[in-house]
Amino acid sequence: MFGKIQATALALILALPVAAHAAKVKIGFVNSITGPEAPIGENLTNGVTLALEDLKKKGIDVELVREDDTGKPEKSMAAFEKMATRDKVAGIVGPYSSKCANAIAKLAEKYKTPLLIPVASKEEITRQNLKWTFRLSATTYDYATILLDMATSLGRPKTIAIINENTDFGTSGAKSAKDYAGKKGIRVVAEEAYAPGSPDYRSTLTKIKSKNPDLVFMVSYVADAILLMRQSREIGLTPQAFLGAGAGFATVAFAKERAISNGVFSSTQWTGDVNWPGAKDFNKRYIAKFGKEPTYHAATAYESMMIMAETAAKAGDNREKLRLALKSGSWNGIMGEVKFADYEGYTNQNKHQMLVEQIQNGAHQTVYPPKYVSKKPVYPFPGWK
Amino acid sequence: MTIFMQSLISGILIGGVYALIGIGMTIIFGVMRVINFAHGDLLMLGMYGTFYLFTLFNIDPFISIVVIIPLMFLYGGFLQKMFINRILGTLPQNQILLTIGLGLVMSNSVMLAFTSDYKILSTSYSSSSFDILGISISTPLLISFAITAVITVALYWFLLKTDTGQAIRATAQDREAAQLMGINVKRMSIIAFGLGASLAGAAGALISPTYYIFPQVGSTFTLKAFVITVLGGMGSIVGATLSGILIGVAESIGGVYFGAGWKEVVVFVLFLLVLLLKPSGLMGKSNV
Repeated sequence: MFGKIQATALALILALPVAAHAAKVKIGFVNSITGPEAPIGENLTNGVTLALEDLKKKGIDVELVREDDTGKPEKSMAAFEKMATRDKVAGIVGPYSSKCANAIAKLAEKYKTPLLIPVASKEEITRQNLKWTFRLSATTYDYATILLDMATSLGRPKTIAIINENTDFGTSGAKSAKDYAGKKGIRVVAEEAYAPGSPDYRSTLTKIKSKNPDLVFMVSYVADAILLMRQSREIGLTPQAFLGAGAGFATVAFAKERAISNGVFSSTQWTGDVNWPGAKDFNKRYIAKFGKEPTYHAATAYESMMIMAETAAKAGDNREKLRLALKSGSWNGIMGEVKFADYEGYTNQNKHQMLVEQIQNGAHQTVYPPKYVSKKPVYPFPGWK
Repeated sequence: MTIFMQSLISGILIGGVYALIGIGMTIIFGVMRVINFAHGDLLMLGMYGTFYLFTLFNIDPFISIVVIIPLMFLYGGFLQKMFINRILGTLPQNQILLTIGLGLVMSNSVMLAFTSDYKILSTSYSSSSFDILGISISTPLLISFAITAVITVALYWFLLKTDTGQAIRATAQDREAAQLMGINVKRMSIIAFGLGASLAGAAGALISPTYYIFPQVGSTFTLKAFVITVLGGMGSIVGATLSGILIGVAESIGGVYFGAGWKEVVVFVLFLLVLLLKPSGLMGKSNV
């Protein structure tokens, strides 16, 4: 009996100083670790890894609960429920893709657990008046507007063809492009939604080629981006510009395929050479640690984890306090200024400045807006080699 | 008209590879009455083999099938001897679970070894093409179609003319009768699974210059192989060849005239129609 009390006392004495030094927070992180979106998911994982290092330096010890959604909404939902109820995390960061994020946004409301979505861009996610869901990244509407703004500032495109994956991100991106093209007076001559993972897009592309569009706008994930461009080259589709709405077009793997990637524009949430505080440093550290360049996904995941963990550490174990702190706080880090605001029908949406990059000789270069330019844009499309 | 011809030709070319995948599955089903749900994963192994032969030893993907086919044959034979032979007489659901399990082990081991990164095999001719009457024909697809045709003809010859081929067909027709006639059916099963695996591996090698490679790529092709096998008539090699090309063309033309998102619908409507009119498949025998 006496031994037990002694042991408890000893344990308390040993535990107290640790508790006093490091604030401990439990955060959930749901991501596509396996499955078809895994190559992009890896960027998010790496971003979070760097965030955990930095949080430790700041004296915040994060107990991270990782869940893999394999890119499937139902798995994402199961992961969210588990983390919110069984693991009792303070808040959750993730998931990667729009289809998953859209599925769990409502669960955040149900379980009253703050959800910070780093990069899933489907507009509607933050348009449902959800109080517990926050989003760091800009939306698909911004993906389309920044690209078309750029195209109209560089040339005089009159027609556009839209090709998109028939998932949440793709459909939402295509719809935004169509709306904004209408406002800019650009006529939509073809709209093609495809099911991802098909080995052959030639027939679709031939149909588009026959319409002879000035702009070709594509919303695709990694592998399809490469395939679409490869087969565009095969059939000789040559518009004034290929516009890629982020995702697959922003990856290093895509840029490395020089024969097909040269001259392609891609909208992006972040670039390695942008002058937001710590961005360049993050870029360097990431390359040093993981041996490849980070995509914007990594940066958004890093910043989301920093914001979530720092705010959670201040709010203690109280989820309602955490939600209010996220709502009222503002940050300035590698993603520029962040504030979760309500505007134009959005709730808890960060008004993020999008950028456009162009692939020039195998590397992504920031080419728009003028304030952030690192290299001059090449327009119109120089043609296939 | 150009668009129609373009999609028809693209469809036939891609259909050739589908046919190769389907033939592999249908041989396995014919001999063992086992639906091989690991078929796509065997194809994925073929893709990875080709990828590494190309990047490490600079062996052209189309030449690498000379290495891939025997390797996959041995691997398929090994799987049959170690696993499939043990469950031949058991309930169908056990067989399905076993092949699905084998597939999962394969895809996850590959993910562990090579990460889930997409691998793109870029040869000098990966996106090259030539024009005939305004129709662009992809060079790598045309080559792979030609190789597919050669492999298919060789396979027919093997099954029709050689003793082993005849023994395999006999086993497929009636396992017990074949055994009574002195055919070593276990050995035939090993050869059949080896053949199926090497065809899947060859198909993987043939599409890797134009497609992309990642550990989970198999599931798409398993489903496709299954549809091709059923549509052609379970166990019918001619049926699988025909339905592979039919599905390639249906996807391609459906993609153009109904929109790319609808091509799967076109394929499955066609599939249902064929099964309604001919429940045993295009070339299936109704009593099987």
